[in-house]
Amino acid sequence: MAVHAALAEPEAAADPAQGAARLWRRLLRSPLTVTGLVITLAFLVLAVLAPWISPYDPSAVSDTTLAGPSGAHWLGTTQNGQDVLSQMLYGARASMAVGFGAAVLTTALSVLVGVTAGYLGGIGDEVLSLLANVFLVLPSLPLTIILAAYLPHSGSLGIILVITVTSWAWGARVLRAQTLSLRKRDFVEAARATGEPTWRIIVRDILPNQVAVIAASFLSTVTFAILTQASLAFLGLADVTQWSWGTILYWAQTGSALLTGAWWWFVPAGLAIAVVGTALALVNFGIDEFINPRLRQAGIGTKKAQRAQVTARRRPRVRKGAPAVRRPAAAPFTQDSTDVILDVRHLKVDYVGDGGGRTPAVDDVSFTLRRGEVLGIAGESGSGKSTLAYAITRLHKPPAEISHGEIHYTRPDGSTVDVLGLDDAELRDFRWEELSIVFQSAMHALNPVLRIGAQIEDVIVAHRPRMTAQERAARVVELLGIVGIPADRADSYPHELSGGMRQRAMIAVGLALDPEIIVMDEPTTALDVVIQRQIVEKIMELKDRLGFSVVFITHDLSLLIELSDTIAVMYGGRIVEQAAAEDFYRRPQHPYSRGLLASFPTLGGPRRELTGIPGSPPDLRRLPAGCAFAPRCPAAFDACTTRVPQLVPVPAPGGGTAQAACLLHEPGAPNGLTGEQSQSTDELATGEAR
Amino acid sequence: MRVILRKAAFYLLTAWAAISLNFVIPRIMPGNPADNLINQFHGKLSPQAVHALRVLFGQSGQNLWQQYIGYWHSIFTGDFGISYAYYPSSVSSVLGQSMFWTLILVTVSTVLGFVLGTALGMLAGWKRGSWLDSTLVPVTTFLSSIPYFWFAIIVVYLFAITLKWFPLSGGYAVDQTIGLNAGFIESAVNYAILPAATITAASVGGWLIGMRNMMVTTLSEDYVRLAEAKGLPKRRVMYSYAARNAMLPSLSGFAMSLGFVVGGSIVTEVVFNYPGIGSVLFKAAQAADYPLMSAIFLLITVLVLLANLAADIAYVFLDPRTRES
Repeated sequence: MAVHAALAEPEAAADPAQGAARLWRRLLRSPLTVTGLVITLAFLVLAVLAPWISPYDPSAVSDTTLAGPSGAHWLGTTQNGQDVLSQMLYGARASMAVGFGAAVLTTALSVLVGVTAGYLGGIGDEVLSLLANVFLVLPSLPLTIILAAYLPHSGSLGIILVITVTSWAWGARVLRAQTLSLRKRDFVEAARATGEPTWRIIVRDILPNQVAVIAASFLSTVTFAILTQASLAFLGLADVTQWSWGTILYWAQTGSALLTGAWWWFVPAGLAIAVVGTALALVNFGIDEFINPRLRQAGIGTKKAQRAQVTARRRPRVRKGAPAVRRPAAAPFTQDSTDVILDVRHLKVDYVGDGGGRTPAVDDVSFTLRRGEVLGIAGESGSGKSTLAYAITRLHKPPAEISHGEIHYTRPDGSTVDVLGLDDAELRDFRWEELSIVFQSAMHALNPVLRIGAQIEDVIVAHRPRMTAQERAARVVELLGIVGIPADRADSYPHELSGGMRQRAMIAVGLALDPEIIVMDEPTTALDVVIQRQIVEKIMELKDRLGFSVVFITHDLSLLIELSDTIAVMYGGRIVEQAAAEDFYRRPQHPYSRGLLASFPTLGGPRRELTGIPGSPPDLRRLPAGCAFAPRCPAAFDACTTRVPQLVPVPAPGGGTAQAACLLHEPGAPNGLTGEQSQSTDELATGEAR
Repeated sequence: MRVILRKAAFYLLTAWAAISLNFVIPRIMPGNPADNLINQFHGKLSPQAVHALRVLFGQSGQNLWQQYIGYWHSIFTGDFGISYAYYPSSVSSVLGQSMFWTLILVTVSTVLGFVLGTALGMLAGWKRGSWLDSTLVPVTTFLSSIPYFWFAIIVVYLFAITLKWFPLSGGYAVDQTIGLNAGFIESAVNYAILPAATITAASVGGWLIGMRNMMVTTLSEDYVRLAEAKGLPKRRVMYSYAARNAMLPSLSGFAMSLGFVVGGSIVTEVVFNYPGIGSVLFKAAQAADYPLMSAIFLLITVLVLLANLAADIAYVFLDPRTRES
């Protein structure tokens, strides 16, 4: 998810002045939106040209009364022999004029009120918001009717004013909320700090960012105004001698078109309104998807989403059915263990773009997790570590897709499961029973409308259908006790717990079925340091007691070194170094690891200079050829820009198990980074800062 | 509880605003509705009726404040004067007769529309991009762009005139007497089917699209992903995790949509010649019956506000976060 966010970010944080241009580009790419735009434009053109292209005077009576559609009268005639097509064309003028006229005025008023209220804040905001809320709940049609009724024979202008008065509130409320959030953004703060006048900030920094919302509000007001005008005209509250689509329906109703079966009289007007409304709604869908990119994602329940998950070739799975064997009592993990529980090979996860382009977020990642081991995965945001965590459990969503690789899980009884080959039901069994996840933010990962107890219990209901309600309740209390939450908190909702308590509850959810593996995706990032410490200690204590294996993902390298048995460092979607935590800390083999270790202080250990890494993480869409780290690497040489280094074992003097993906470890590289020489390159990495 | 009280206070304020608006509008609008009406009746109005008109529309020789007090007095005593469209019935008695027809019709069809729209929207969002989604969304978009009353015309043309499945217009068969007898109820239900179906079908689209978009947005929330990770059955993920959260905004947007639905329903009644408030409003508008129109505006506003309060109370029950004190 982090990678996805990183990928989406440039779109959201682009130059504000280009809001309108980007919106246009986005809209013109969707066929439905283009259809909507074309239809709307066609109606506008017809409305403008009406006097020149109408075959008859819309009010002229003739002897051919109530005639059906014919060559002379394409849409037939009315009771008085008037031509319906001419009435429709002239009617388009009034209906479109009211629609767009009211939308212009309404939107202007909405922008004025919304932006003023949002930008100024304080008492002015309170009053304007209250006013908007009052107008929002007042039923608009009766109010419109009252207003229109008192304006005797109100023409289009009167109707436009009445619609403006009754419909400005919605847009004002949305724009106020947007302005409020924009006002706190950096570029607005910066403009204010430089003393730019308020109106200039609003016109140059705020409004361009609201183009999409303003457009959406404008278009829905057009539809609303056309509908309202039609209703008013139909009720006889507008000037019934001026032709509009509503007026046609009014005369059709009073002329009993229904009873005489003159469908051509009343069908075209309503159809025209509906078609224009649909066309505008189609454009608005496009705008909605622009405002809220989540709407572009495919849903969970579709076959397409299921299929898209794994495109890698599937193998026939090993049939399960062997009786569950309890795992051996928690034995301390040792580095020479070969009891592999999770084996990931050459895993590749792509984000598939709109145009079919593929962005690899995880590329050729292989690692093994052994029983009882804590594997720490480190990396900056955008390095692919969260995507990897989700891919292991197949929780990634389109546009992410596993395009290559294998994931094998070994049960305590020795049988092996091909995770990528599991079908729906098997996957549901595998999840949580064998492997659970603790999410980054418990605040967002716990369902806000369910009690904590219920969120633990539903796992048990789903996987242990034979347990009775009492047994389940006892298990919930037991689990809460394990993580140190008082039993009476089972009835609390997530928002009623403190941040640390929520994260413990998350862990309790993760432990519910006593899984073999727990994947922890930055479980302590959102917490303050003291709580962080408590949670980490709790996790380590539980691991020792219950004996599960952990994949721990974080950007906090010092934490990782402290609690992991093995560390894997990710960069640009690949693992660039993997080693026992101890070896890693003492002898980092990859220049990037070295840079990471040099960017934070450690408690204890030798003093060293903090240098950090120059530059910023790579854009996954435009990864450099060769080593992704080359542009930032102090030790890069020619070959680094052309060849992608593979993860290979690096011999170390102490017999360590380090693997690194760096060309410096190949024979013949300049400053060859073999174990014996690591001291010299250590100087190289830190030397730059001196 | 405090949330509900605050909401109730807000609706009281809104009701006050609406009632005052109803006082102010005729006084600031050009023309003189009271004189128009009195002239129309050529001196046949009783002195009380003339007085009531003056109270409602001003020009009674009192200053504005006194007029305002008098206006509130007549609001509380339910004295909205005489209806001119239904002369000599009083406005209150005209509304008393028509109100229940509308209340039942609109309540039933709005609830049906909301439930159907939310349920279908949930499915469409859950299966975003599937055939269900790509059929439902355009179809309901088209349906919700249709003016209610035109939809009603088409429905009448098809099912009452051409196919003759349902009665053409009215609220019950003329040979029945109003009351709690089987014959009348059966006839009333029979007459209500077409209007109710029209309003339901026309209002489903708005709820559906709103719910569908919220559902799609909710599906990318972490708690839905966690629910999947927990290996819960799909139904549980869809109902308790996704839909339960997705419907909250739909419910809090109830206010705006409800006003729209009620407005549309009122106009629909005219087509069916249904004996409810809509038809009365139509007649009042034709006859420039201002007292009746104002009273209808107030009545609808108050009913919509009450419905909103009910929606807010439901919201408090559905979202534990608002229950916090």
